[in-house]
Amino acid sequence: MSLLEISNLTLDLPGGARLLHGVSLAVGAGETVGLVGESGSGKSLTARAVIGLAPDRAALGGRIELDGRSVIGASGRDILALRRDSAAMIFQDPRSGINPMRTIGDHMTETLRLCEGLSAAAATARAVELLSAVRLPRPEEHLRQYPHEFSGGMLQRVMIAGALSGSPRLLVCDEPTTALDVTTQAEIVRVLADQRDARGMGMLFITHDLNLAASICDRVVVMRAGRIEEEGPALRVFTRPSADYTARLVATTPTLGPGSGSGSGADERPADVPASDAPRSGGRASALALTASGLSKTYHRHGKPPVRAVVEASFDLEAGAALAVVGESGSGKSTLARMIVGLEPTDGGELAIAGRDRATIPRGRRERLARARSVQMVFQDPYLSLDPRITAGRAIEDALRLHSDLDRASATSRAVDLLEQVGLTAAHAEARPRTLSGGQRQRVAIARALAIEPDVLVLDEATSALDVSVQAQVLDLIARLRRERGLTVLFISHDLAVVRRVCEEVLVMRAGEIVERGGTVRLLEAPSHPYTRLLIDSVPRPRQADAQPAGATVA
Amino acid sequence: MTIPTTPPPAAGAPRPAPGRVGPATLAVQVLRSPRARRPDAVLVVAAGALAVMTLAAVFAPFVAPYPPDAIDLLAVNAPPSAAHWLGTDGLGRDLLSRLVYGARTALLGPLLVVIGSTVIGMLLGLIAGWRGGWIDAVLGRVFDVLFAFPSLLLAIMAVALFGKGLVAPVIAMSIAYAPFVARLTRSLVKAEVSRPYVSAYRVQGFGGAWIAFRRVLPNVTPIVGAQSTLNFGYVLAELAGLSFLGLGVQPPTPDWGAMINEAQSGILAGAFLPALVPAIAVVIAVVAVNILGDELSDRIGGGIPA
Amino acid sequence: MALDRAVAPAVANVAAVSPGRSARVIRRIAGRLGGLALTLFLASLLVFFSRFLVPGDPVSFLLRGRQPSPEAVAQVTEQYGLDLPAWQQYLTWLAGAVQGDFGRSLQYRQDVSAVIADRLPVTLMLVVMAGAIIAVIGISSGIVAALNRGRALDRATLVGLTVLSAIPSFVGSIVLISVFAVQLGWFPTFGSGEGPADMAYHLVLPSIALAIVFVVLVGKVTRSSMVDQLRREHVEVATSRGLRRATVVRRHVVRNALGPILTVSGVLVAGLLVASTIVEAAFGLAGIGSLLVQSVDRLDFPVVQAIVMLIVTAFVVVNAMVDLAEPWIDPRSAAGAGAR
Repeated sequence: MSLLEISNLTLDLPGGARLLHGVSLAVGAGETVGLVGESGSGKSLTARAVIGLAPDRAALGGRIELDGRSVIGASGRDILALRRDSAAMIFQDPRSGINPMRTIGDHMTETLRLCEGLSAAAATARAVELLSAVRLPRPEEHLRQYPHEFSGGMLQRVMIAGALSGSPRLLVCDEPTTALDVTTQAEIVRVLADQRDARGMGMLFITHDLNLAASICDRVVVMRAGRIEEEGPALRVFTRPSADYTARLVATTPTLGPGSGSGSGADERPADVPASDAPRSGGRASALALTASGLSKTYHRHGKPPVRAVVEASFDLEAGAALAVVGESGSGKSTLARMIVGLEPTDGGELAIAGRDRATIPRGRRERLARARSVQMVFQDPYLSLDPRITAGRAIEDALRLHSDLDRASATSRAVDLLEQVGLTAAHAEARPRTLSGGQRQRVAIARALAIEPDVLVLDEATSALDVSVQAQVLDLIARLRRERGLTVLFISHDLAVVRRVCEEVLVMRAGEIVERGGTVRLLEAPSHPYTRLLIDSVPRPRQADAQPAGATVA
Repeated sequence: MTIPTTPPPAAGAPRPAPGRVGPATLAVQVLRSPRARRPDAVLVVAAGALAVMTLAAVFAPFVAPYPPDAIDLLAVNAPPSAAHWLGTDGLGRDLLSRLVYGARTALLGPLLVVIGSTVIGMLLGLIAGWRGGWIDAVLGRVFDVLFAFPSLLLAIMAVALFGKGLVAPVIAMSIAYAPFVARLTRSLVKAEVSRPYVSAYRVQGFGGAWIAFRRVLPNVTPIVGAQSTLNFGYVLAELAGLSFLGLGVQPPTPDWGAMINEAQSGILAGAFLPALVPAIAVVIAVVAVNILGDELSDRIGGGIPA
Repeated sequence: MALDRAVAPAVANVAAVSPGRSARVIRRIAGRLGGLALTLFLASLLVFFSRFLVPGDPVSFLLRGRQPSPEAVAQVTEQYGLDLPAWQQYLTWLAGAVQGDFGRSLQYRQDVSAVIADRLPVTLMLVVMAGAIIAVIGISSGIVAALNRGRALDRATLVGLTVLSAIPSFVGSIVLISVFAVQLGWFPTFGSGEGPADMAYHLVLPSIALAIVFVVLVGKVTRSSMVDQLRREHVEVATSRGLRRATVVRRHVVRNALGPILTVSGVLVAGLLVASTIVEAAFGLAGIGSLLVQSVDRLDFPVVQAIVMLIVTAFVVVNAMVDLAEPWIDPRSAAGAGAR
């Protein structure tokens, strides 16, 4: 009999809305089951129900058997026992998952002391043991530290160690690496796999990332809108999905493609858009749209050592081309983008866009408008990059009327034109951002940037807040716009797989420095810098029968 | 009058980005929504009470049965009767009439203070939050100093300097309340400025003043406005308190606070009504304003504690 | 924002306990004390020079409402150095004020400090008693409401607080006097009594009247701070680890919610001292609040200046203490840069 057995689980809100429609799945001891789906699929609700954390007034139906005990309808005391001995959970954001006002030591020992009745000394000894097990470097010292002194990856290790303190038989992981960088993700996944193997735990692994699920899980359950779409061995679901939805999900999930993972996938998608298609750039195919040389930025903080966010960045970008800037958080890629669009003054170096010097902050209205026409930007978070009070159409009109002397009526019709070009309709012009979905908002942001007809378009993590299927649509839109308008694109991203779909060339940054530049295909297949190699190796990919889980060598 | 520790989201701002928010959170939001609404009847009553008071104040000569200082020597401290619906005070003046006329100063003072403090405070807060740097530091210091003078204290000081009446306290309290408005505005503006939409306007080439006044200011105004509505209640109570101390509106001008002051000696003799009637008027006015202010804050999603 | 991202890796490497911590703490305390001194200095400027906003000559301002003999005019001019430049007058006043000498009261013909010292015990006792009521009822009602969020008890508490918030201290005073002193005769109507026990008895009704509005403030802040914490993910994590609800609330919710409550308490002190003017007037108590009103009434400006300065100082000092206590509540604020 399985460690965890969920059969026909339903969840209803008091208002009558049903969020789970009969979910059934099982996890055996030592087995890892992936629960995959996009936002709103019910995967997190299912996971929470397992340890009795369903929303307050929700009604549960069906059965959940954990370690031979029933969870639904269990008494408060039984739930406590279950959480203490049978199952533990790891959450998405370790930064908000640990009480910021208490020490790591307190977090580690509190359940040991309060639930298991260990003495302070014994609890401390166990805590040190657990922290070493998740490979934190200085366990004794960490016990006296506060969460704000730790990085996200270190905190997630603390969370794992804390979850293991009760020696659970089942570990529920809710998107445990989504908030982390890819190299950190690889390390965390390795720690999880090691502990699972050492302890023979079962694992229920919730993620939106099919690649990640396929890299760590034995079996995968795909959910959508509160229902299970498909279930089966991870590799089979990934390579030969049987449900339409799964097939679409697999198709829209960006991968590193041939040569770097499964050798099987024939010719998936090379860099999508040949720049020569661009009709507008006409004769001057090799003209430089952007030249940066020696761009630098250092932040001086009160009472702390300065941070060199960007160090002597030099590169150029041909008109009509698409260049990706890839790096992890803190690599300086966003600072670089902000310098290019003029949101951040440069400390030094030269920047020319379409042949004109743009390194200085513009003074006066004329210069400001000229600067704006040289480069536009689409921001990461579509929920925050549109003014909440201004309708989509009005936002575009404002930009149009600032940069031309169109009257209101023609600005309005031009705005509708632009909305249609990005795949929206005239009806969306009247909508406020609140009523639009994430993908629609990002389309509005793109239309608004296009309204100004910039020489260069900077996309700063423009798709990373979106679900994969929506992300795929927005990436397709960008590819189409490049084809149709000969757009020059600078694409800032943390995700090599996404970059592969959009850009012919990639520039890799680490700690403010550009470490490597090359054609996307070449760089993914034969990286020359060890850091690029590490980045590529850290990207999760489906586990072959013989292959090791993804993971690299840096601790 | 608290200083919010976390800036509330802007007006009509989207819920904290549901980018990766799980359905559990969604469920919680769904669960929360039906109960959050205050019964509308309460709102209607509160708005109605304020409307009645405002109308009474404006049309006092037509509403009041007697002139406010008409003395009926035959009815001193008289209980309610057909001639005097709410009874009379220690000098035989009709309480209802004085109550109606008293609404004028009771409502006018707070209105002026709220307008004055909101205009001054929003302007300074916008400058501090938008410009940052040394301007912010200097204004912050000025606010810190003013915070050390509670509004009633500043009003009392103004009376000590310029004499009794309504003018000096109203000016003093406008100044005393301005830092609260300013600090709220500043923190809201700072939160807005950190949002990418402001950067997006900059990248599009819009000028700083246009963004600040045409886009950021309207986005923070609803929350500041809701807070100022709540201030109205506090100011009303404080100005009435000042009159109660004998430092505000002077007799024989009818004023709720002054009426209570004059009726104090009567209480010991068992004549409660002359003090109680204006006291209840103050309470009703403040409750009504606070209910409306709370509701405004709720609807706008400011979530600022009182 | 870009800065945050840029800083992330730097923070990652600072997993070792940084050696500069105690130096930072000392710098922090020094900074706070400097800020306190500066605020007090600026406040004293405001209090002193406010007099110069009044048109007319200073002698007749100080002697308003009295018929001064030429000798009296000369004496006042001499005493306050009114013939000296303004900044010299200020320095003289400040030097005296720092040593507790605020000059002489015009109405009592006594040292201002002596007049105030005479009245201070009643006000302090009143404020302490009201503070106790506020702390106990305000915090507990806020906690109860938050823990029953959305249920009947929460709504009842909120309605109660909304109604109480509309009862200013003078209304509270006359109602309490009418009911408990005049009608029922349980408490005295007037005066502050003899000796500590009798004084406490005399101050029961006044301290309740004083506390009402502030109970609401503390109750609402407590509730919203608690609700804010209850929503945090770390509370869910603690629950998921098998801790009892009471333990979770005590260790992770109440403790974390203390910050805003403490901040509000700091603001309360000055509010209580000022509001005590009204309560003292209503109950005929001989405290500094009623002294302030009386001095305004009798145009005794030196006393007004002294009491205003006293209240402002109390406010500034208490808030500096709250500020200094903050890292003890929230360790992050100790690490933060010199944010306000």
